[in-house]
Amino acid sequence: MSNGARNPNRWLAFSASIAVVALTAACSSGGTTASPDTGTGDGGSDGDVVLEFAQWWEPELPDGVLRGLMDEFEAENPGITVELLSGPYASTKEQVVAGAASGTMSDVVGLDGAWVSDFVQQGAIADLSALMDDAGYDQTQLASQVQLDGSTYMVPVVNFAYMLFSNDAMLADAGVDVPSTRSEFADAAAALTSGNTTGWILPLSLEAPNGIQNDVMSWVWASGGSMLDNGQPDVTNDDVKSAVEFIVDLDSAGVIAPGAATLKEQDKVEEFTNGRVGMMISSLAHINTIRESNPDLEFTISALPAADGYSGERGTPYASWGIGVAENSEHKAEAWKLIDFLMSESSNAQLADAANAFPGNTTARPEFVDNDPIFQEAFDVWQAGYPANEFVGLPVAEQLMRDFSEQLQRVLAGEISVDEALENAQAAWTDEF
Amino acid sequence: MTALSAGAPVAAPTRADIVRRQRLKKIALIVALVLGAGFPALPILWMLSSSFKTNGEIFEYPPRIITENFSFDAYQAILTDPEKLRFFFNSYFIAGSVTVLTLIVAVLAAYAFSRFQFPGKRIINVMVISVQAVPPITLLIPYFGLVVALGLYNTYPGLILTYMVFTLPYAIIMMTGYFNTLPKELDEAVKVDGGRPFTALWRVLVPVSVPGMVSVGVYTFMIAWNEYLFALTLTRTNDMRTVPIGIQLLMGQHAYEWNQMMAMSVLGSIPVLVLFLFFQRYFIGGMAAGAVKA
Amino acid sequence: MTATLTPEVEAADRQPTPPSSRVRLRRLWDRLTPFGFLSPTLILLIILMVTPIAMVVGYSLMDRVITAPESNFVGFENYVEVLTDPVFATAVKNTIYFAGVSVVAHFVLGMGFALMLNSPILSHRLKAVFRTIYILPWLFTIAIVAVLWRMLLSPNGIVNYLVTTFGFTESSVEWLSDPNLALHAVTFINIWSGYPFFMISLLAGLQGIPRDLYEAARIDRAGPIKQFLHVTLPQLKPIVISMALLDFIWTTQQFALIWMTTGGGPINRTEMVSTYTYKLAFATYDFSVASAAAVIVLVLSMVLAFFYVRHQKSRD
Repeated sequence: MSNGARNPNRWLAFSASIAVVALTAACSSGGTTASPDTGTGDGGSDGDVVLEFAQWWEPELPDGVLRGLMDEFEAENPGITVELLSGPYASTKEQVVAGAASGTMSDVVGLDGAWVSDFVQQGAIADLSALMDDAGYDQTQLASQVQLDGSTYMVPVVNFAYMLFSNDAMLADAGVDVPSTRSEFADAAAALTSGNTTGWILPLSLEAPNGIQNDVMSWVWASGGSMLDNGQPDVTNDDVKSAVEFIVDLDSAGVIAPGAATLKEQDKVEEFTNGRVGMMISSLAHINTIRESNPDLEFTISALPAADGYSGERGTPYASWGIGVAENSEHKAEAWKLIDFLMSESSNAQLADAANAFPGNTTARPEFVDNDPIFQEAFDVWQAGYPANEFVGLPVAEQLMRDFSEQLQRVLAGEISVDEALENAQAAWTDEF
Repeated sequence: MTALSAGAPVAAPTRADIVRRQRLKKIALIVALVLGAGFPALPILWMLSSSFKTNGEIFEYPPRIITENFSFDAYQAILTDPEKLRFFFNSYFIAGSVTVLTLIVAVLAAYAFSRFQFPGKRIINVMVISVQAVPPITLLIPYFGLVVALGLYNTYPGLILTYMVFTLPYAIIMMTGYFNTLPKELDEAVKVDGGRPFTALWRVLVPVSVPGMVSVGVYTFMIAWNEYLFALTLTRTNDMRTVPIGIQLLMGQHAYEWNQMMAMSVLGSIPVLVLFLFFQRYFIGGMAAGAVKA
Repeated sequence: MTATLTPEVEAADRQPTPPSSRVRLRRLWDRLTPFGFLSPTLILLIILMVTPIAMVVGYSLMDRVITAPESNFVGFENYVEVLTDPVFATAVKNTIYFAGVSVVAHFVLGMGFALMLNSPILSHRLKAVFRTIYILPWLFTIAIVAVLWRMLLSPNGIVNYLVTTFGFTESSVEWLSDPNLALHAVTFINIWSGYPFFMISLLAGLQGIPRDLYEAARIDRAGPIKQFLHVTLPQLKPIVISMALLDFIWTTQQFALIWMTTGGGPINRTEMVSTYTYKLAFATYDFSVASAAAVIVLVLSMVLAFFYVRHQKSRD
């Protein structure tokens, strides 16, 4: 057993050297600005450019919509072709992180506001302000931009507003009106709760913790409150505290649907669609989902209830399909052209139309707003309030939501008090900043 | 069947007694199997039933076992979409290749482990077992970099080699185990006749290890078939992607296509089931008589 | 390829003739033979597995890898951070419970079903049908297993419908979101999805047990239970031990199932080492600390693997 050690050693040395070669190769590709592996890409004659556009939008939209827009773009910009790379929403973020680390990130990427800060930190996405200046772009047509340290890194292409959905039939049965204040909401929720139905539903899943943004902090924003103070966490303030206490009271009153700790946004919609929950705060993107699943369901959309006595403007929470450019892209100027195209009045309106979202272009007006009374209502609410999402641009935004969710779960499980939870959350957030 | 009980001389029971007891035993066993089958089968039946429902109906309460508006829409949506059919092809092609290649490589390695003493054997053994212990999620980024550097990004070989690395340790360990149960005299005989070690392996050990190889093969196939994380990360375009990603693509940001997800799972499982039905005779056949000793 | 490396070796060591150069060469080939057989495995594992693992070990000793342009060597700081994190301790505890219970249940169910399916009383066709039914859970990708069980166990799902209709409980049970039930619930799901694999391997193993051992046991008047304990179990022992070890290692890595059912919650009641590392890597971008956690898991598994290999050796 011990007498033959020399020969294998030689072999091991050989294989080790292979490993080292592989290792160095892998490392070297890590940090450099290696061109994206476009495969068929750059091979075209006289400067043809292939833009890769990675996003999760294509599977979310009706078949062919995004491709159709890309065809339009290609027709307008000869010499540029767009390759759509679509992935599942739940994994988009990991893919971007991995792609950025290996220099294979697509030229143009779909972004969520919650990721921007992290990608900027990683050096993955490019400064769009510079690109806009180079292109002489008129920024006033953009409804909003996500900026860090004065530079724009993401442009929201379309926005999904979150509003209060109420089941008309259930409200009528319970003899209540659509609530507009917190106490009206609590009363309505209580009236709606009986047997198998509850008044409200609160998704607190730790896998996708955006319930904290859409269903918890939205209460704060709707009453003009904030969870930040000068960009720093401030979750122990009265605005947040009163909102959380309000939610805890709803829970003790038993008007929140069971299973909150593992519910996700999708579950919320399914419960509402099947008439087991009277009210929910949800994205307008769900209007069509609900109509498809349960065509008979009549529902009303309204602004989020505010604290009693509040009369100021109400913040409307929203989520965006944002867009950015990869730092390692070799075709940044062309990439900007694509963004420019998507933000232009007509294509932005088309996209918003297909996604049932509000346009990121200030002048674009999607058809559904005029054709559909429910959307018309929603659009009025949207324009009466102001868009509010304080998580956009925060570092590790998703983890902040998760930290908060965990604390809220502990309160609802009766382990700690609201004050303790907020202090813990504040400590956890301060840690992450 | 009767030969079995003939060996048990219990107070000279009558023939009728034996027959009756046999029948009772058989009935009891079938009842137990049917009851036990509920454990794996009921959730699957629910999945099957959901795949025929509309999206809204899936969440109705009280739940309905058989839907009123029975519909094949979900299946039709999948079977008429060339992109989704491509997912199926990719899954089969990749899982099939991984299975064949893993078996070849693992049989060679297992032969070395089972029949030779060599320096470093223990270290290599520990390595083979423990490389699988690193949480794959942490390997994702370095692994991804490696695959890009080797030019395997978005290719079939990239995924096939990746899954081989995942399945080899198990395949080697199990094949070594199976070879260890075969007496050394079997292959010694070949060598005495002037055969090479490879001949001994190929002519003697492999044929008698078919049941073991089939079970390792089934395992390998399943791993490659069901893997999601690397399948997504190591591919870029949908024409290289596999069924699990196709399913995940139906889990949207705002809503899930429940019925299509269920239908796609059902469709994906049917060919695997057929494959299993075909191969399972090897589990029944048993090994050559007398060839086995622990 | 391997075969050609080996010229006719006819008991080279049986001839004590003075070593000519030809004989020496032949001995060299002899020694290299096992490596020839191993080479495809080693090449693959070293390039595609050992290399990334080495990189992860490297990351674990640096700070801010991947996310920052430059990172510095920080020694064992990341390890200290992981080991002093109470959540990591919770995760390890949960993982051990999750994996331990899963492995035992996989073994018990797998063995029980395998024995029933191996019974000579039933016809081949009947057994084939049942075998096919019993492997069903294995055919589905883990994402589907997760969403299927979320659906079944949801407060308005079929399971709650059944337990309330048949009066086991007053109101529906929050299987996955009750802090006291969640860990058991995910463990149960994992048991459901994982036992067929154990069952198949045991079924294959059962085919290899020679009939005459049972004959001999019967002549000794051993009943079915004794036969099981004195023949079946000892014969299957090598397979069972290998399987248990591997199953344990794999189960500790189960990520998608936990993530997609509970996300590690409620609170941190189902936090596993896998979800813990995932959050470090992709929620807080602490790849260095995540790597340190991964290396700790690797070392623990190597210890396990070491004992396993030693056990195998002693058996030889």
